[in-house]
Amino acid sequence: MSTYQKFTVLIVLCIIALLLNLSLGSVSIPFLDSLKSLGGTPIKNSSLEYILWSYRIPKAVTALMVGSSLALSGLFMQTLFRNPLAGPFVLGISSGASLGVALLLMGASFFGITHLSYLTTTVGASIGSLIVLSLVGTVALRVKDSMSLLIIGIMFGSITAAVVSLLSYLSSKEELQQFIYWSLGNLGAVDSTSLSILSVITVAGMSCGILLIKPLNALLLGESNAKNLGVSIRQTRIQLIVITGLLAGSATAIVGPIAFLGLAIPHLCRLWFNTIDHKIIYPAVIIAGATFMLLCDTISQLPFSSAVMPINAVTSLIGAPIIIWLLIRKKQLQF
Amino acid sequence: MRHLYLFIGLWAIQLSYSMAQEPIDIKYASHFEVNYHSDGVKTLMIKNPWPNSDEVYNYALIPKELFESKKIRSNYKDFECIEVPVKRIVLSSTTHIPSLVDLDEVESIVGFTGTQYISSKEVRTAVNNGMIQELGVNEKVNIESTIALQPDLFIGFSINGPTRAYEELKRFGIPIVYNADWIEQSPLAKAEWLKFFSLFFNKEKEAKALFEKIEEAYLAAKQLAKSVIKQPSVISGSLYKDIWYAPGKDSWAASFIKDANANYLFSDWGGIGSSSLSIEEAVLKGVDAQFWIAPSQYTSYQQMKEDNPHYKVFTAFKNQKIYTYALSTGEGNGLLYYELGPHRPDLILKDLIAIFHPELLKQYRPTFFKPLHP
Repeated sequence: MSTYQKFTVLIVLCIIALLLNLSLGSVSIPFLDSLKSLGGTPIKNSSLEYILWSYRIPKAVTALMVGSSLALSGLFMQTLFRNPLAGPFVLGISSGASLGVALLLMGASFFGITHLSYLTTTVGASIGSLIVLSLVGTVALRVKDSMSLLIIGIMFGSITAAVVSLLSYLSSKEELQQFIYWSLGNLGAVDSTSLSILSVITVAGMSCGILLIKPLNALLLGESNAKNLGVSIRQTRIQLIVITGLLAGSATAIVGPIAFLGLAIPHLCRLWFNTIDHKIIYPAVIIAGATFMLLCDTISQLPFSSAVMPINAVTSLIGAPIIIWLLIRKKQLQF
Repeated sequence: MRHLYLFIGLWAIQLSYSMAQEPIDIKYASHFEVNYHSDGVKTLMIKNPWPNSDEVYNYALIPKELFESKKIRSNYKDFECIEVPVKRIVLSSTTHIPSLVDLDEVESIVGFTGTQYISSKEVRTAVNNGMIQELGVNEKVNIESTIALQPDLFIGFSINGPTRAYEELKRFGIPIVYNADWIEQSPLAKAEWLKFFSLFFNKEKEAKALFEKIEEAYLAAKQLAKSVIKQPSVISGSLYKDIWYAPGKDSWAASFIKDANANYLFSDWGGIGSSSLSIEEAVLKGVDAQFWIAPSQYTSYQQMKEDNPHYKVFTAFKNQKIYTYALSTGEGNGLLYYELGPHRPDLILKDLIAIFHPELLKQYRPTFFKPLHP
């Protein structure tokens, strides 16, 4: 299969995943009806029309945005650190977000806040990830070595994790449960304001990232070779950190920490396209991330039943076997 | 000869007890049982005091005069022995409070876990006057303060197995009785736990009369609701993110809706506890419901709208037909519904009937369920 054919397959898969996501759920909406409704003819049952337009479509858009954001962030971090185990959260973004949410949910009674709406957790997560991001950014300006930066990111993560576990130890059952619910991720409770913010950041981040394709390819040759090619390592590093922070940070703030996807999708794309060239991998990761997220969300809704699985469990349960299977088949990691 | 006197004395006391006691029968509750014995002792059996347990606790309630008798004690050596009537009692849940108020035993309460949640005026006064000591959170009850109080009895509860703090208290000779009122599912069964409390004060007669009143009022209200042919549709619960938590079809809360002669639209799901439905199903089934009761903690339409935009699609929201118990509070931080509700199912039922069939109860003043603020 040529690269073009592979892209065509990927795009078709993405469209199928989108349509599946819109037509499957705990309530059955006939496939043709949902297609017609998308075309402008409302479904007769107004509840179904409401479910489609006010729940499933926003949820699908969220999945698209979050999936592509996280996959792209993962790619950036893997290339920046030349490390196949890196993911969007190595810089401590998700730990920062969870610290923000933990402080809010489990320290709320301490601060005298009694009513917590869904929006407040978004604010808490944003502030948390922004603080960690600016700390890492400041460090990145001082440290010359990317590896030290990686370790520092992990250290930040450990510190926040420790504070979170301390908070959970001291908090009540209900507060702890709310925090665990948040950490399981949720695509279906995003209000329109948050969704617009997420969309703007995602599109902006992806567009700016295109300008970094060349330096990214140069980084693959190692930092010293990249320097010889005229790439400013320091500048590229800062740019990558800021874009990743915005993409992964906004996604995490709005839907919670979605595990695995950011780590796995870049590998999946490299293995399938058999290349490490960012000109190909960059768009592939965006489409594949979105497709994968849509599929996972469809599965998590367990079609035709009232049960809903947490999205975070589904991404790993579905994703990990695919990666294992591909690695065994190809026998070698493409990196 | 001395032995003979003693023996006759003991026998006389036993006889007087077995004659004075008016055995109480348990009609609805299924988690406790009482047996009266000819020697004047009553035995209390608490069955499965937490979900999925097959645990059984046996207590022997021994009259004060017989408590030191070796013979009696040897007859009940497999039971945990409690001297009655109890003079100093510690309670651990606000659901215990109304029974003690009705039995006129507020003065016997010496300690409580979580006094800030108490709504009852009488008991609040006792707390403020320092008659009732705060003992912390139930599972982590302050052991030292409890021992220092020297209570005759600690009424506890557990949601998932024997509590470690209770075991510790037992070591110091404080009898612990597990209360399981909260596990009972039918409204009258929960209320019948008034009889359980009466056993410790030898006030079975009073409890019987009090419960009969509640029972009659409940059954009469149920009968009254039956006279209406048209059942309004009702939903209950609220969303957390995109999951709707609602009372299960066989739950305590759902049985009031049924007895108030209304159609609970979420009755396809769940059993005795709470059930969770996806937002899609909640919208599909519940969007046209005429009434919406108990939307968890919300007290105003504004609050609901800000919290989750999906609420606005529901007819009951649009027509402002949402009723909550969260607006009825006492002086404390707790909700009156949680404290008094289980004890007075007749009042809950009447509140709901007044909402669903206003023509049946005109000029009615609700105790718990009030319309949401705008």
